[in-house]
Amino acid sequence: MKIRSIALAFFSLAATALYAAESPAVGSTAPDFSLPDVNGKTQSLSQYKGKYVVLEWFNPECPFVKKHYGSGNMQKLQGEYTGKGVVWLTIDSNAAGAEGNLSPEQAQKVMKDWNTKQTALLLDPDGKAGRSYNARNTPHMFVINPDGKVIYEGAIDSKATPNPNDIASSTNYVKVALDESMSGKPVSNANTRPYGCSVKYK
Amino acid sequence: MGAIKRLFSPILLLGTLLFAANAAVAQVYQGTQLVQADTVANVNAVVPGEPFLVGVRLKMAPGWHTYWRYPGDAGIPTEIKWQLPPSWRAGEIQWPVPLKLTEPGDIQIYGYQNEVLLIQQITPPKNISEAAANLSAKINWLVCERICIPGDATVNLTLPVASTNTAANSDLFARFQKQLPRSPGANFSASWKKEASGLLLTVSGPDLSRFPSVEFFPSPKESVAVGHPRLETRAWDQFTFRIPLDPSNRTIDSLPGLIVFGNSPNDPDRSAWDVSAGPQITSGDNRSSLREVMRFLIFGFIGGFILNLMPCVLPVISLKIFGFVQQAGQSRARIFRSGLAFIGGIFVWFIGLALVLVALKSAGREITWAFQFTNAYFVLLMSTVVLVFALNLFGLFEISLPQWLSRGAIASGSGHGDVGSFFQGVFATILATPCTAPFLGTALGFAFTQSATIILLMFAAIAAGMSAPYFLLSAQPAWLKFLPRPGTWMVRVKELMGFLLIATLLFLLSVLGAQRGVSALIWASGFLLVVSIVCWIKGQFLVPSATFRARVIAFVVMIALLLSGGGYFIGEKFQGASAVATGNALSNGWEKFTPDRLAAEIRQGHPVFIDFTAEWCITCKFNESTVLETDAVRGAFSQRQIVKLKADWTNGDPAITKMLKQFGRPGVPLYVLYAGGSAQPYVFPELLTKNIVLEKLETIIHTMAYQP
Repeated sequence: MKIRSIALAFFSLAATALYAAESPAVGSTAPDFSLPDVNGKTQSLSQYKGKYVVLEWFNPECPFVKKHYGSGNMQKLQGEYTGKGVVWLTIDSNAAGAEGNLSPEQAQKVMKDWNTKQTALLLDPDGKAGRSYNARNTPHMFVINPDGKVIYEGAIDSKATPNPNDIASSTNYVKVALDESMSGKPVSNANTRPYGCSVKYK
Repeated sequence: MGAIKRLFSPILLLGTLLFAANAAVAQVYQGTQLVQADTVANVNAVVPGEPFLVGVRLKMAPGWHTYWRYPGDAGIPTEIKWQLPPSWRAGEIQWPVPLKLTEPGDIQIYGYQNEVLLIQQITPPKNISEAAANLSAKINWLVCERICIPGDATVNLTLPVASTNTAANSDLFARFQKQLPRSPGANFSASWKKEASGLLLTVSGPDLSRFPSVEFFPSPKESVAVGHPRLETRAWDQFTFRIPLDPSNRTIDSLPGLIVFGNSPNDPDRSAWDVSAGPQITSGDNRSSLREVMRFLIFGFIGGFILNLMPCVLPVISLKIFGFVQQAGQSRARIFRSGLAFIGGIFVWFIGLALVLVALKSAGREITWAFQFTNAYFVLLMSTVVLVFALNLFGLFEISLPQWLSRGAIASGSGHGDVGSFFQGVFATILATPCTAPFLGTALGFAFTQSATIILLMFAAIAAGMSAPYFLLSAQPAWLKFLPRPGTWMVRVKELMGFLLIATLLFLLSVLGAQRGVSALIWASGFLLVVSIVCWIKGQFLVPSATFRARVIAFVVMIALLLSGGGYFIGEKFQGASAVATGNALSNGWEKFTPDRLAAEIRQGHPVFIDFTAEWCITCKFNESTVLETDAVRGAFSQRQIVKLKADWTNGDPAITKMLKQFGRPGVPLYVLYAGGSAQPYVFPELLTKNIVLEKLETIIHTMAYQP
């Protein structure tokens, strides 16, 4: 009995180690986190239970992020869905000293300059939240349903280029996932290959 | 000021144009030159109709990298768009084996540092009116260090058009061509298994065992997200990788990619095998219903029957008919027994072959139908057997069975006619094997993916089909009565048959010549001459009427001749004669098939026709001369700009064996058409007609030269 439980514990440990580098699977419970926003206020995922939550990994220096903010595409999306009651959390997991790392003041400035429309921009310089989601890219998108389950993970849209001119002709996967799920349909394309710069972890 | 500017601008433009040719374009970021791009060709001039290579060279600043075709967790692959004159074609990018780089947070990317040359084949048209060709390429890349900067450039290459050219930039091309992934060797095997969390890839190859670092670099198609491949187990030459997949991708049952091996990860001398060469054909469920098995057994039976009518069995048929003529006057029971013996010979050969195949299949070798004919020694052995039979028919010597065998035969009251019939059956079927009749191909293709039991059943069905007519004739001798009565004419027919066998011998020798070259053919013929002399000695001196002493001397001389002749002509000369590369000279727009070439053409959306053929395949030759090489079909091919690839299986090229297997075919001929785009390959019947081919070609939309 004892040996069995030790073996089981060992096995699950090994399994965790084996799959640690994977993003939370679509359909599984989204890992909780608590992070300070640009005003120093702590925000956690669990406080938004019962609502749709979008997670967006962010790096203002990254050309792929600039593609979606420079064109106004990201702000439009943020505005549209926060207007429908969706919580939009932008997360910066870049380490201190690395490209894209933001102090609270710098983050406030970026939000103002770019006229962003998210619920909150959270700072994760330790990369703890980023690693628990295995967020690899900026932008790397997750959509979480009111039950706290991941319903979408991957790219923001279907054209993996840094060129803003490609936005018009691409399919926005986040929009599709939200629209489908909010109208009670299963998400048709719940998993795509994210594209962008790598998250600059510590 | 404005006027001056207007005056100078044409001059400036001209200057820019002049300098644009072959000039490098630099990407500068905050005062640092990150990437320098230019393009080079491996020739100093374009010869119309002759493909050549161009390379886009990217030189990266120290510490910066650009990406492979699959960038990994971040980044995007470098893109090259060639702007070519009309009807020029650019091939797929040939990506060197990338580096695997790991960033903090276990982010793995695949890319290049310092310098990379991305090579593409350019095929110019046969007629070029201009004196020089201007080729330009628009390149887009993402270059990253700690930060990522997108870059782009348009590079130009101007080459004169000439009737001859010489190599250029050889060192540069050689350096990067050395880094290209290759097709795996013959002893390499890869298998995929689906697990709950992803895929398991097991590869084995003896060559891999000596490398400390063996990795799998996946190259999934766009939109498929894969986890990091992990080497799970390594046992001598067998490696198992686990590749996690997201739940939405669980329908995928294999991934393209590279097996990369070297003395350490990112070893500068690392090499790679492309385990995805050729189109991805997923292996289906191998279990099959009883009904399906029955259907294929019936196909096997029909195929076996048709084997009697195939061109390459024709000479043997005459032998068999001759056998029945000889028996026509004898008792019913005797004829039936003789028929059964013949059938027994057919069965023993097929079942024996099945057992050998089952054994080899379980040993993991690539074995296919008619594989014997890809082996020069087998062809030589067959030639010898055919010659000996021919000389026997000419009456040079008589076949007398060993004492114990004939005694046993007499004891059983059957005489050696039955034993002879038995071996005739064996001989007939040996010659029948390289002819895959239409039904047989399908049935055997099916059988090769099956268990040992089904393979054995399948071969038994073929044997039954082939022997059916002889069974009927020997069981119903009434039908034999229609055959003419024996007489002196039989001797003439017998001798005439000998000439048919000599014709078969010529065919076999032509195969040998194609496989090993003229000198090997001469040495083999030398050996055949020795065999003829041995046969003559047997007919003259090793006869029952000779004294025992004379017989012993004759026997010793025969053995000595065979050994010395065989040792000299075969053991020394034949073996030493170098093999020629390929039997079929490529002409009339045919190009050599390689899996890489096919994959490249498909990815570019070009329509491709593949002719799987071999020197020893008469059905193939027949199709080629009556259909493929006719003006109508040739015209249709060139009008639709279909790439014609010839896969010559004369020497049993393992890459071609693998392709045949992917199509579920155990042998040649096989004709396949990729209609372009993502269309599934269309497989033609084994016996072609002009109409079949032309009608199918009609369905291909005439596409203009496509630029990736």
